[in-house]
Amino acid sequence: MMSAIDGFVTGQGRYVDDIKLPGMMRMYVVRSPYARARILKIEGGLNGHEVRGSMSSVGEGATEGSMELQEPVLSTSTVNYVGQPVAAVFGDNLYEAEDRAETVEVEYEPLKPVISIKEALESEPIHRSAKTNIMSDTWLGKDFEIDAPVVLEDRFVNRRVATNPIETRGIVADYSGDKLTVWISTQSVHSIKEGLCEAMGLQPQKVRVIQTDTGGAFGLKGALYPEYVIAAFAAMKFRKPVKWIETRREHLSASHPGRGAEGRMKLFADRQGKILGLKGEVIVDGGAYSGGMGEFAPGFIGYQLTGPYAIQNAHVRAMSVFTNKPPHGPYRGAGRPEAAFFIERMMDMLADELGIDAAELRLKNATTESFRSPLGMKIDASHDFIAKSIEELEYRKLSREKKAGFACFVLVPATQPGESARIVVKEGKIKVWLGGNTHGQRHDIFVKKLLNEELGVPEDKVELERGDTDMLEAGVGAWGSRSAMMAGTALIMAARKIKDQTEKEFGKYSPELLLANEYDEYHFEKFRESLNSFGANLATVSIDQYGNVNVDECRSYYDVGNALSRESVIGQITGGCLQGIGQALYEEVAYNEDGQLLTSSISDAGVQSALTLPRFVIRIAENRSRLPHGAKGLGESPTIGVPSAVARAIELASGRRIRETPVRPEMIV
Amino acid sequence: MDEVNVRIDVNGVNREEKIEPRTLLVHFLRENLGLTGTHIGCDTSNCGACTVLLDGKAVKSCTVLAVQANGRKVLTIEGLGKGGLHPIQKAFLEKQALQCGYCTPGMIMSAYWLLSENPSPDEEQVKRGISGNLCRCTGYRSIIEAIMLASKEMSAGRTHGRDGR
Repeated sequence: MMSAIDGFVTGQGRYVDDIKLPGMMRMYVVRSPYARARILKIEGGLNGHEVRGSMSSVGEGATEGSMELQEPVLSTSTVNYVGQPVAAVFGDNLYEAEDRAETVEVEYEPLKPVISIKEALESEPIHRSAKTNIMSDTWLGKDFEIDAPVVLEDRFVNRRVATNPIETRGIVADYSGDKLTVWISTQSVHSIKEGLCEAMGLQPQKVRVIQTDTGGAFGLKGALYPEYVIAAFAAMKFRKPVKWIETRREHLSASHPGRGAEGRMKLFADRQGKILGLKGEVIVDGGAYSGGMGEFAPGFIGYQLTGPYAIQNAHVRAMSVFTNKPPHGPYRGAGRPEAAFFIERMMDMLADELGIDAAELRLKNATTESFRSPLGMKIDASHDFIAKSIEELEYRKLSREKKAGFACFVLVPATQPGESARIVVKEGKIKVWLGGNTHGQRHDIFVKKLLNEELGVPEDKVELERGDTDMLEAGVGAWGSRSAMMAGTALIMAARKIKDQTEKEFGKYSPELLLANEYDEYHFEKFRESLNSFGANLATVSIDQYGNVNVDECRSYYDVGNALSRESVIGQITGGCLQGIGQALYEEVAYNEDGQLLTSSISDAGVQSALTLPRFVIRIAENRSRLPHGAKGLGESPTIGVPSAVARAIELASGRRIRETPVRPEMIV
Repeated sequence: MDEVNVRIDVNGVNREEKIEPRTLLVHFLRENLGLTGTHIGCDTSNCGACTVLLDGKAVKSCTVLAVQANGRKVLTIEGLGKGGLHPIQKAFLEKQALQCGYCTPGMIMSAYWLLSENPSPDEEQVKRGISGNLCRCTGYRSIIEAIMLASKEMSAGRTHGRDGR
């Protein structure tokens, strides 16, 4: 039998755009050309006069939010970013649908948009129902006064980055008159179902969401988007299947980008380099609407600002603001890289200020016992890991030969609230469903391995099924470096239940007995704690006379716990490192002062080709976690550590202080 | 819109269809013929997910009109390795040169073209050969290794008188 992965090399993958149903219509979305405008009139197509309601916040970083500040499915009054959907038109094929865009008439009265964080803080609110442009505002930690001999202050920026999976978003919706079935490219069928039910007022038993092969996601595909609701609405209205596939341009202008955060940091230290306190202000560019990561991200960044260091005093203000840009969303790392960049940049500044080696300074501030920061983050003893990473990454040797940027971080995986798994044994085969849906991470590899270990069954008897809300009663999703840990644990627990049943029934257990009988076991493993781990990166760069940076080497040393598959670990790290370099050097979705998108293609957005590869060096530590299979998080580690390491390497090579990503050539020549 | 007739040899089979003249080759392959292994990733001919061979040369089928392929030969991922996996496909599996799989068919078609032009490329030549194909998952390392491996396997195959295809 051909496995799913074999199908990917022969063109037999089944992605959402590959679905063809009888009578299926294509949907084309008419979008706002203005960053901010009043809608004076809208006629034609399926528009907001008919499709009412607003988004519901589901998926990664979901928040309660205030309903009136959430994105409308289709607005009839105002638009707040270029690319915001205003109507949908349909045709038998894509060409016909797009032709019908002309039948939609919208009259706009353009308004002055708010584009930057600075403007947001100074301008009138973009939403009439709000008093200011502040979306969220919280304080973490406790205020303190210290008379420190060294006080350093600076401001850092990570510009907005598009997630840019090679497969964009897409959905097919079909309505039988009784049940809405949705096929979708997603990280979580359960989030999508919950979101559709909430936004459309549908009963859960009337909605089924099925995952198609998913061509990458990187945070993009966990949330609900207006187009999903419109497609579902249209399928129900027209009683015909409806397909919508996002174009790359739509992705760049209307999908939720990540990063887009500013950090104002103030570090208090003694002359020996011991950090005495940290004050900070984190401001996230939340985009036009609240409900989700835009609200969640600032507090999450703030919480991690002490990094792997035992900083006893910390006080941080964490805010997000409304701007006339698409809503902020998670991008691989989702708040973790921002926190690492802000604190690691300060560590390097402090090292330079005091003339202490940057790695030495980190060791000096590491902890030899577990530590709970004033901001709430718990870490294990970090000292030995940092000392080991200096060795494993050959920092001393490389620093002598060439200037090496070194960065450390804490990975805080999204463990909560746990995850689910279902195992069905029938006809000599084992089928598995997981609450989080694989979108390139190869969950099938750890599923086969863990069931082989737990149940003694050959790996070729085990098949990981695609996400399907009719086949798995509840689940969370695949994001935040959680799947191997949380879905893996749920799978083990379900497997153990089945093993117990076999033993009870037959007085003994064997894989043959198991496969000869039928079982069906679902398990939701609740998990309320955090399970953090450490990582470190090292980078070396060359810079030409025009300021073009080339990363020569990118080295990683991460504690991955028990590595369930060495190949997958290396694959995740290599791909993630290139994304980390991308953020550091190339990636950005940029706007002009009118809020018009300046980034017009995937290459403009900075996604790299094979031409700019560094030499990757990968080392892992395997300190088992307390989970039954000993796994730790990994997926986001490279995007957390690499940008800081590259920034430092550039700083050392150019002599210019690096305060933002991406680092453009004009900043260093 | 008035339709026109095209006749295109796709994977060795003559396909005759009536289409709108504005139909892109990628839509012709996917919608008219149901060959969904050729993917669409960017619409701006940057990503290469839609790469196919037109008369033996790699093209991005999102930037070619189907009428331009009239009377010509197209090879898609479905036409590769008839009766089994092509050595490039095998090498991609062996080296785990894919994660989400979406860029894979285009990547393999570019590799196929590269190896037909230059059977023994060095690493730099492989990088240049696939520089028109974007992958967001792998960091390219495993893809380069897979193409180098396929190149070796295929030249060994040629020495032993087996057809590379």
